[in-house]
This record gives sequence, structure tokens and C-alpha cells, in this order.
Amino acid sequence: MSKDDKTTSKDNKTNNDSKGINKDMRRIREISIQAETLYEDAVGLGNHAAYAFKDLSRSKRNSHRSQMTGLENIAESGLKTSDIFDYIKKQIARFDYWRKGFPGNQDPNEGFGEALKSFLEGEVKRRRDRICKALDIGDVTDEDKYKRQQVYLQLIRQFIRQLVVQYEYCTSQEEVRENGANVGTGTQNRRSK
Amino acid sequence: MELTLAQVRKIDVVSDTVLYPEATALVKQLIEDEECNALPSSQISGLLSIAGANTYTELYRFVLHQRDRNWTASKMDIKKFYTALEKYLSDMVRQRVKAEFRLIPEGLDAKQTKQMTEALMAVLAQDFIQHFVAENNQRAAYVSRRR
Repeated sequence: MSKDDKTTSKDNKTNNDSKGINKDMRRIREISIQAETLYEDAVGLGNHAAYAFKDLSRSKRNSHRSQMTGLENIAESGLKTSDIFDYIKKQIARFDYWRKGFPGNQDPNEGFGEALKSFLEGEVKRRRDRICKALDIGDVTDEDKYKRQQVYLQLIRQFIRQLVVQYEYCTSQEEVRENGANVGTGTQNRRSK
Repeated sequence: MELTLAQVRKIDVVSDTVLYPEATALVKQLIEDEECNALPSSQISGLLSIAGANTYTELYRFVLHQRDRNWTASKMDIKKFYTALEKYLSDMVRQRVKAEFRLIPEGLDAKQTKQMTEALMAVLAQDFIQHFVAENNQRAAYVSRRR
């Protein structure tokens, strides 16, 4: 092989690598864009979670925070979307607060777990299809099916991250309000003494 | 027999796109359409532990045994669950692993094919049962709340 040949082959490799990187970057970008458009829905479900877990004593609330961590963990570590859906179903079965509705919702009786699962299996899946269409990822070859699954997983992960952040924000705001109210009560008590 | 990375990835895809919706539909059919009671937690524990820790042959033997037990009239729904589960698993072994999922590579002899099928079914059956149990338990929680 001549020196020129070597250079050409190296260049081709570099081109192929950069094409691969470009594809990966494009995929990440498309997922981020779609996740961004789902932000309001993540906020809505984060608020629903905070409401569903609200009527609980302070000690129990910590254990419910771990529910959200558990959800985030399974989303981050799960290799399949069905692992996440099975986890949600398991929590719905085990804890009544996962079945608690939200007055502000279109269907106020739909529980948090059911609402989350429906959204992930419905709207998020449609967004996955949109991304795959934009990236020319089909659903016939094994490779494409695997890529579709990965896009879906990454989209779900971003969505759940947003939801958990909103849940934390909502809960902390609630605690600030409660602490403020307690301080107020304390002052009032001291004054009345 | 060890599975390749390609096989494991393919099983993950099959689990999401085929096993999960079919497990959900099967439980729905049993509980909603055939009006069975959900599989009780004692049965769920046994099924999960056998599916997670044993070979496919042992799991299948357990399902057969539960199907063929002399259940009392009040527990005939359990028999229906195991009958449906046995049919699903045996159909998968007979027809789907090779022809539909195309998980068995070409060029294996009969003994190797049998070993490969056993290894694949252990994972496929475990995944199916995980989905089946999740749907069953979720439905059981809603039914018990209505009662």
C-alpha cells in the first residue's frame, strides 16, 4: 500500500467516524427537541405526583421521595421500555397513592401511575415515531428496531428526569409554605402569651 | 449455552414489541373477557421464583403441574391462567422462536438447536412472565378497590 493509499484510507475512516458522530449528534438533538416540547406535560405529571403524595406525614414523605428516585433509577438503568412500564404497574398495585387522581386533570379520577403510563405509551411513543421518521430509522431490520427502542428509552429518560425535578420543586415549595405557616403560628403563640 | 450480544438485543426488542403487548392482552382477556379473578399473590410468588431461578424445562414443568392439579371449584380461575400460560409458552417454542423471532442461527444440529431453544426460552419466558405478573397485579389492585 502506498503512502497516498494509506492517507486516503485514513481519511475515509475519519469521514466515516464523523458521519457516525454526526448521526449520533443528530439523534441526541432530535431527542432533546422532542423532550423540550414535552416539558409542560412533565410539569403537569410532576404536579400530579406531588399532589398524590401530599396528604402524608413528614416521615412518610421521605419514603415517597424514594419512590420518585426509584422511578428515575429504573428509567436510567432499564434496558427495555417494558421494564419501566412493568415498574409503574407494580407501584400502582402496591401503593394506593400511585392510584390517586388529580382535580385539575381532564379525567380527575385517573391515578398518577395510570396517567404516567398512558402518556409514555401514547404521546411519548408518537414522538419517538416522529424522531425515527426524521432520522430515517425504519422498523423492519433488527438494527433499526434496536435503534427505535433506544430512541424511545432516551426520550422516556429525559421526560422522567423533568417530571422528577418538577416533583421535587413542588414538594420543596410546599415545605417552605408549611414552615412559613409554622413560624407564623409560633410567633402568634408567643404574642398571645 | 451462552447467548450472543445480538441475540440479547433482539430479545430485548421482542420483549418490548411482542411479549409486553401480548402479556397485557392475555391478562386483559382472562380478567375482563373471561371474568377470571386475578392470579393470587401466592401463585405469583411461586411463578416468579421459578421463572427467575430455574431452567425453562423446570418452569414449563411447573406450569404444566399447576395446570393439571385438581383445583377446587372456587379456584378454577387459577387453572384457566395456567392453561393460557402453557398454551402461550408451547406455541412460542414450537413456532415462534425460530420462524417469527428468527433467534436461532442457521447451521446448528438437532442437539444444539434444542440447547439454544432452551437458553432462549429461559429469557423469553422470564420476560413474558414479568409482564404478565405486572399486568395481573395492577388489575388486581383496581378490582380490590372497586370491591
